[in-house]
Amino acid sequence: MASLPADTKIVGMLAELHQLIKQTQEERTRSEHNLLNIQKTHERMQSEQKITPYYRTKLKGLYTTAKVDAEAECNILRKALDKIAEIKADLEERRIAARQVGSYSAVDVPRKTMRRGVLMSLLQQAALTLPLWIGKPNERPPPLCGAVPAAGDYVARPRDKVAARVRGPDADEQWILAEVVSYNSTSNKYEVDDIDEEGKERHVLSRRRVIPLPQWKANPETDPGALFPSQQLVLALYPQTTCFYRALIHTPPRRPQDDYLVLFEDTSYPDGYSPPLTVAQRYVVTCKENKKGGGRA
Amino acid sequence: MGEPRECPLQFHDFRPVEHARQCPRFTAILSRSTDEGIGAGELDTLQLELETLLAAASRRLRVLEAETQVLTDWQDRKGDKKFGKLAEPGIGATAGPSKLVTPSGSKPKKGKSEGKGAHGHGAGGSGHGPGRPKTKLPPPKITEYEFPEESTDTPRAPKNDTPSRFWASVEPYCADITPEDIRQLEEIFNSTEDDSEYYKVPPLGRHYSLRWAQEDLQEEHKEGNRAAAVGSKKGVQGNPAEVESMLRRGEGGSGSAETGEDGCPFGPLTQRLVQALVEENIISPMDESPMPDPVTKAGGDEISATSPRSHGKPFRLAREEMQKQEVRRSVRAKDVEVLEVYRRIMQARQKKRTPSKKERDAAWRILRERENLLKQLDS
Repeated sequence: MASLPADTKIVGMLAELHQLIKQTQEERTRSEHNLLNIQKTHERMQSEQKITPYYRTKLKGLYTTAKVDAEAECNILRKALDKIAEIKADLEERRIAARQVGSYSAVDVPRKTMRRGVLMSLLQQAALTLPLWIGKPNERPPPLCGAVPAAGDYVARPRDKVAARVRGPDADEQWILAEVVSYNSTSNKYEVDDIDEEGKERHVLSRRRVIPLPQWKANPETDPGALFPSQQLVLALYPQTTCFYRALIHTPPRRPQDDYLVLFEDTSYPDGYSPPLTVAQRYVVTCKENKKGGGRA
Repeated sequence: MGEPRECPLQFHDFRPVEHARQCPRFTAILSRSTDEGIGAGELDTLQLELETLLAAASRRLRVLEAETQVLTDWQDRKGDKKFGKLAEPGIGATAGPSKLVTPSGSKPKKGKSEGKGAHGHGAGGSGHGPGRPKTKLPPPKITEYEFPEESTDTPRAPKNDTPSRFWASVEPYCADITPEDIRQLEEIFNSTEDDSEYYKVPPLGRHYSLRWAQEDLQEEHKEGNRAAAVGSKKGVQGNPAEVESMLRRGEGGSGSAETGEDGCPFGPLTQRLVQALVEENIISPMDESPMPDPVTKAGGDEISATSPRSHGKPFRLAREEMQKQEVRRSVRAKDVEVLEVYRRIMQARQKKRTPSKKERDAAWRILRERENLLKQLDS
């Protein structure tokens, strides 16, 4: 990770974030008192086995206060998360600008000579820090949250990660993890870069050969419908590679930080499928093909 | 958290996320001063932790909304529920208010010392209604509510809650009187004032035989006129005066008998019957003029006579009852004190020492006070 740049803007944003975090904790401490009251009232009501109008009104009042508190807490937390996203985007931009200019900081390794291990840990980090979609009570998960498909006219933006079906030198096709460079709206084609090596040529692909990766994780507790269900056929990134292969969902994630367990199609196993392997939400997309994909990378 | 059977509320665990344990980075940053700031490298972990907190908070919010809705629905339903459908859950060991049963408002809390002082209560309450041997009440029972949440309850073997239902149905008859009840009595009485107009009997008017006869004749005339108009014959004009005379003639003997007796409405048969009965002293001689408003006058007097009287009586009774209730309540409190003192004396005796003079005095004093209260009650 980049060390803290001596840039006032970033420093300023970090200070704001720090403030927000302190405010969050203040809010939580304030509402804790009410939550403890609720807990005590619950215990009393349950031990007496009677629900009286007095208790009900009191509980209703406590619940209403707790609701207001929870909303306030949610708001501040969202602001803090937004601020983090802002800072990260800013840092990312700097990194790219620095790379283009040609000056590398100590930790910033140019893509050309990136070792596989570093790449893998970067991918893993990206998967972990994919923002979790936490909607307000009436909000539905948006497109590109978990398994929710993109809108029909969605165009991936530069630097978005996608799964791209490219044709190899020996005419075999593979879905690779790639990054969008640009989109040509007249020809309706994407220019993408393989995430692995910058040296490789840029691929120009039509829209149907490009599947944008999710931009949010779905929360299994609140939006289980935004997850791929068990037995669904998907394209998943094979662990320690940068290629997508067909797989069946074995188990969807149970907690927000969990991964999918998938069974990759694999003829080297007797039943045709690999044992369950973990793949992060970020690297599982819908599969629309009906023929098998290429060999393993 | 488990679902209590009586109510549809799910008592969720609303404890906040223990950020010290689950969000170490968050906690660490909190303890830093603003100068130290946050490292850019910590952003990722911080993001994850904040997401955890946000997920917990928004889950809490949703659950709170659902529970509040359940509470509101439950309250609305309870207002509609008729009395008698509820099963009274048993008394817990500790004091607790009894369940709301009528829509008109809450009943006062029943002291749980009722269970202990059942005998004293029974003695004092015998003049007030059937005593409630609450000591016999079985342990908590399921209610008979149908709530949306009940469908998630696992099927349970049906318990015998007939006794609790019985006591629930008996309760309003034996419950303490409240000012609410007095207000209701007042309302009822005020509404009866307005009923007096219903007691007025409208005047008799013409006897139906005469009226129908006249109407029939008029019908015939109309028919005749119509036929005449069709056949262009000269129709007989119905003349009300003529009709009357025709009717009178038609009535014949009975009619003359009537007019002869100044328009007495009773027919000859009835007259003879009445006379015979009067002779035999079965009924008193009746006033044979059409009954003007005997009922209203006499009845009105009666009612107005009873109304202020009865206006007073139930209220007085109710108020007396309330006073008695107060006394009874203090008796119950005294019972508790007596038991307390008794226990102390027993302890002293156990320790093989005679109870001190202070304790003995306290015991006598309390006993005497209790006696006084009881005497007050009985008077």
